[in-house]
Amino acid sequence: MSTTMERPPVRAPGPEGDARTVALRSRARNRVFWTRFGMQAPSLIILAIVLAFPLVYSVILSFQSYSPVDAEADGRFIGLDNYIRMLGDAQFGRAVLVTIAYVVLAVGIETVFGTILGVVLSRLIRSRRIVTSALLLPMIATPLVVGLMFSFGLNPQFGFMTDFLRALGLVGDGGVLDSAGGAFAALVVMDVWEWTPFIALMVLAGLSAAPQAQIQAAELDGCNTFQLYWHVMLPMVRPVLIVAILFRATEAIRQFDQVYILTGGGPGSATTVNDIFQYRVSFAAFDMSYGAALGVATFAVVATLSAILFRYLNRKGADA
Amino acid sequence: MSHSTRYAPGRRSTAARAALTTGIITVLALAVSGCGGSSSGEVDPDAADGWSQEFAGTELNVLAEATLNSEILAELAPEFTAKTGIEVNIETAPFAQLVQSVTLDFSTAQGDYDVVSIPYDYLGAYAGSGYVEEITPLIEANADRVGEEFDETDIVEGLWETAATWDGKSYGMPSNSAVTMMLYRADLFENPEEQDAFAAEYGYELAPAQTWEQYRDIAEFFTRDAGETAAGEVLSEPMYGVTMAGKRHEASVFEWMNYAGGFGGGVVDADGELVVDSDESVASLEYMKSLGAFAPPGFTSATWDEVTANLQQGIAAQAISWGDTAGAMEDESQSAVVGNIGYGDVPVAAEGDEHHALHGAWTYTISTQAIDKDAAYLFTAWALSAPVQKKIGEMGGVPATRSAFEDPELVAALPSWPQQLASLENALARPRNAEWPQMLDQLALQVSTALVGDSTSQKALDDAQSEIEGILGDKLPLKAF
Repeated sequence: MSTTMERPPVRAPGPEGDARTVALRSRARNRVFWTRFGMQAPSLIILAIVLAFPLVYSVILSFQSYSPVDAEADGRFIGLDNYIRMLGDAQFGRAVLVTIAYVVLAVGIETVFGTILGVVLSRLIRSRRIVTSALLLPMIATPLVVGLMFSFGLNPQFGFMTDFLRALGLVGDGGVLDSAGGAFAALVVMDVWEWTPFIALMVLAGLSAAPQAQIQAAELDGCNTFQLYWHVMLPMVRPVLIVAILFRATEAIRQFDQVYILTGGGPGSATTVNDIFQYRVSFAAFDMSYGAALGVATFAVVATLSAILFRYLNRKGADA
Repeated sequence: MSHSTRYAPGRRSTAARAALTTGIITVLALAVSGCGGSSSGEVDPDAADGWSQEFAGTELNVLAEATLNSEILAELAPEFTAKTGIEVNIETAPFAQLVQSVTLDFSTAQGDYDVVSIPYDYLGAYAGSGYVEEITPLIEANADRVGEEFDETDIVEGLWETAATWDGKSYGMPSNSAVTMMLYRADLFENPEEQDAFAAEYGYELAPAQTWEQYRDIAEFFTRDAGETAAGEVLSEPMYGVTMAGKRHEASVFEWMNYAGGFGGGVVDADGELVVDSDESVASLEYMKSLGAFAPPGFTSATWDEVTANLQQGIAAQAISWGDTAGAMEDESQSAVVGNIGYGDVPVAAEGDEHHALHGAWTYTISTQAIDKDAAYLFTAWALSAPVQKKIGEMGGVPATRSAFEDPELVAALPSWPQQLASLENALARPRNAEWPQMLDQLALQVSTALVGDSTSQKALDDAQSEIEGILGDKLPLKAF
């Protein structure tokens, strides 16, 4: 390291001078390192407190038997029991399936609609700003408010959404939330309503940044509009789209507020997504250690998923 | 580096001076606020009214459920301060948040709260973990410190037993006497045309249901479309025979437990054995499901909030609901049925059976981390003293003493009063063991599954039984519950 860093000396130093220069440089490098470290220390310490500590604590808790409301579950170590219990827990399995179905459906529909919407937006000239601003509105609302809005709209007695769906003959007397399929569909629609604009805006940004030369070349070569979008512009926005999907997928996996407000995870376990299940285990049943094991497992899955997606993204980025 | 060491002592001395100054200011500020605190502890001996003033200046933090009772108490708290010199901060939170805050506070021994009103089914969890003080020694030790207005023998016995007794010891005093009862539209029941039509159709007189069969008949009879008539008036919107909670929520489980109690089923029998999948329990869930045909649409996403609203709007003829909603029924600003609601016992399977309501009590407990347990006890005793209990009744809350329920003025003014006391005397308790929260979660899941028809009542309760057996393991049969 030191040899590569050395520059040609201005005057030929003696052997002791050489050693002194190396020592001085090493000290200087040390100082630079500690200065940089010192500058970043506050954020690193905060990060360690808010991220690393809870994670480590959760991992430790997941090997214990602990419940604050059960004197017998006093925090003794029970090895892998919580993880073994998780593997045999049919209700957890169901929650995982519901979560997967929810994420795939919601994010999938958002991606298709969002891309189409983004393309349409890119073709608007005068009204683009107004339409883009209007599209931001659903995203600005907090998830809890969106949940409450749909909860009122879908009320089986006086909800305007229920009335509308009833007029179309799509739902019966009991309303949308009366059946497993209806309640699940309501959650997917709610997420699509709120987050399709996000994908659309990302696509719009990608299209705006696309190199015009290639697009013009394609036009000169006689591509029709569909071909231009499908074969030229879509591949250009793909990296942006994947980032958007990644964001949405990690958000959707953590879905909680809207489900809690709208269905409470029911009817039955039809809308019990993973986070609702974990909330019930940890804060309704106060089985903290099993809840921690579930949390650790979820973290591992989400981290792996993110790593795969980032890797894919990097490769595609390199290809582009 | 050398530069920094050379200047460091100077800086340090500056820093030290700054720290010292800050420290002095802080100490002065604390001293000043301390003085302020002690001056607020001064109390007029003439206002004592028999209550001890030796804890004057103590500040108590109380956490209570977000109900009318707690609001009323917060309003009356200055009276307690005037008598005893004890300052009280009353914080309220809804059920789920309260349970989470309390559990966190208790389990981390933070001692943020001195008196906590808990739902009684968490008694085993908190008393079993040693988080709350036994009350009997405090009653004895403070017998001379409480005013004559407080008499612990006046607390409704069955209510106190349910609210505070765990494993043979008493851990608090009831803060709220919520109990279930049957609410029905007395104006419709007393209408001669309706009475004649009912007698013609069912072959017996229309009267408040005594049995579940009658309850169902009445539900069917009063379920009508918009445009039909009820008590001679054309209905602008449909009317329903019942309103009920069916969401995946504790409200549905408690609703079902009323039916189960009448059918002879339930969760745990007298010997501590699980009876969730017994024939009686299954029949009661099947019965609850059959009532769905006469309930407002979407009852499977309703909790007690919707039940109360449906009754207030006058679109339901009957409900099994909580007595503490009676105030809302008689409140002209929010109810369309003021003076039209009758209150009766929860029906039974066969005439002659014993009626059973379900307790929904809350309990004042004193944290083992309380700043001063005697002062905390004085507050709970004051909250249960006769004048405060009467005021709770007058202001629309639900008291816990017999004298308040038998007070002639209150009986004359509050139509639900006799039934409140009758229900309190025949009510059953939910299990209170430490695992109950987990059991409740499983029951909520399975009751909801059966009500929407995703599984049969038999399979739902079989599943609940096996899950709960897994939760309880070798603790079955339960010794304390």
